[in-house]
Amino acid sequence: MRPKVVITGMGVVSALGVGVDANATALMQGISGIRTARYLPTDHLEFPVGEVPMDNEECRRMLALPPGRPYSRTHLLGALAVREALEQSKLLDHNGLALISGTTVGGMDVTESLFPEPLPEGMPDVPDCGASTNDIADTFGCFDYTSSVSTACSSAMNALIMGKLLIESGERDIVVAGGSEALSLFHLNGFKSLMILDRERCRPFDKTRAGLNLGEGAAYLVLESETSALNRGAEILAVLSGAGNACDAYHQTASSDDGEGAYLAMTQALQDANLSPRDIQYVNAHGTGTPNNDASESAAIRRVFGENLPPVSSTKSYTGHTTSASGSIETAFCLMAMKYGFIPAQCEFENTDEQCVVPVSKSNTSNADLSYVMCNAFGFGGNDSSIILSRYE
Amino acid sequence: MNKVFVTAIVKDVPAEEYGHYLPPMKARRMGKLQKRALVTALKAMEISGVGEPDAILNGTAMGCMENTVQMLSGLASEGEEVNMPTCFMQSTHNTVASMIAIYTKNHGYNTTYSHRTISFELALQDALLRLRTGRLRTALVCANDELTALQLQNPDFFGQLEVCDRSESWMLSVEPGKTPLYELENVQIIHKKGVEDRAVIQLKPL
Repeated sequence: MRPKVVITGMGVVSALGVGVDANATALMQGISGIRTARYLPTDHLEFPVGEVPMDNEECRRMLALPPGRPYSRTHLLGALAVREALEQSKLLDHNGLALISGTTVGGMDVTESLFPEPLPEGMPDVPDCGASTNDIADTFGCFDYTSSVSTACSSAMNALIMGKLLIESGERDIVVAGGSEALSLFHLNGFKSLMILDRERCRPFDKTRAGLNLGEGAAYLVLESETSALNRGAEILAVLSGAGNACDAYHQTASSDDGEGAYLAMTQALQDANLSPRDIQYVNAHGTGTPNNDASESAAIRRVFGENLPPVSSTKSYTGHTTSASGSIETAFCLMAMKYGFIPAQCEFENTDEQCVVPVSKSNTSNADLSYVMCNAFGFGGNDSSIILSRYE
Repeated sequence: MNKVFVTAIVKDVPAEEYGHYLPPMKARRMGKLQKRALVTALKAMEISGVGEPDAILNGTAMGCMENTVQMLSGLASEGEEVNMPTCFMQSTHNTVASMIAIYTKNHGYNTTYSHRTISFELALQDALLRLRTGRLRTALVCANDELTALQLQNPDFFGQLEVCDRSESWMLSVEPGKTPLYELENVQIIHKKGVEDRAVIQLKPL
């Protein structure tokens, strides 16, 4: 028997605020965090973004980090979320923890502010993915294993999937996993070049959808073997019961029409959790708001669930697309939905598209007692992943 | 628990062999790293006789730096008027692992680790645990990094990180096959504040 992997802590930072309470409240009240950029020094104010409502200096002070060196925003946001997760799980004084973090941007905000000048001599490393993960880890000093996953927009979810594997295979008892990604000019202008940014607030699955809004943030979950959690007397929030990862193997940025990669990832997650599609009571979709993603994901969801579609919604109309962090931020939202018994209703949706599923929106919102929830995260290159959370009994 | 064998290790494929694995027409549109990574992967598949591995994993310290530097240079010179879609979409760290999957139409487990000097070892550990526990039968594990002109001039341009300009591919399998090279016994990862992360790969020669 492989050990059951339970979740004993979470920390979240997004455009909805800092901390689980701020995020849960905004989701339940239907208040979006997407607005005009305030902190990212961009000229493209025509593209609204989901910014964490704090500047770097405020984040640094909250973390009591010393001034006088550059900090990447990915590090700061990540450390805030890890701290909340460790506090909730009562692990701040623990040693020998593993940290697996998903990111693609890493410290690009620092690099692009200096370029074409190099990083000043004698400064700590900040730009690469690994350096930003180690910066997050060393803010605390309780980690003796660190790893960075970089599969674009599914990075944080693949970090959770690796964390689950480390525990199931007996390598580790406790793994803090998730992801962090700050907005950068690099990827804002990259997505602009791909012409998939919407000038309005994004409308996933809506017939008039015209692209995504970029967001930023971080979320980490404390994954733990059931035995370890029970021995410590930790509060168990849910079970990470299923995980699937497959490659669409279709195109570097576009998704296939039939959503093969997404279909395989969801199917594998169900098999891994030993559940049937009928058991799933809510799907938090990747739902970016681009015409291609939402149609492809809808095709895949229809293939998996057939006639019995569970409620589906995308929370990207609240946070924007938090890219590498989206997989763990949205998994945290699923945990909130299970805890408080609600289905996050999209704050933007009006027009049904035949090609797409009809998401839960303000017009058909409902309370729900959720025992089994699925969350999707897909990345460039067809790196598609899906996980399932189950109520702990 | 399955034993895990290394059945092929390929690195430094000479340029004159590229044509054997990759038609020049297809190679023409690829960058240097993409070409080298793909050829190295295809050769490992050929040698091991595993044309469709259950998984493709890559480790890269810095990712696709040519495209990243081009995009940064564009931003620096043109400001936010910059328009570089191809460069951007091939700048993400997972470009190589997904490109190998797209080229070989492989829908299996696919992931990328980007964690400084132990990126390949983290990919190797992921594959090892999946093979050992029966989740996979075969896995292609790669290491790919490129050095740009900027880094050749100033190795510390992006910080003090020793990046190896290389493409390397290992085929792992739960079957020893005809000519196994090693048994992969363990991969250990060690993080300590203030010290570069370390990894220990335990191989038993066969």
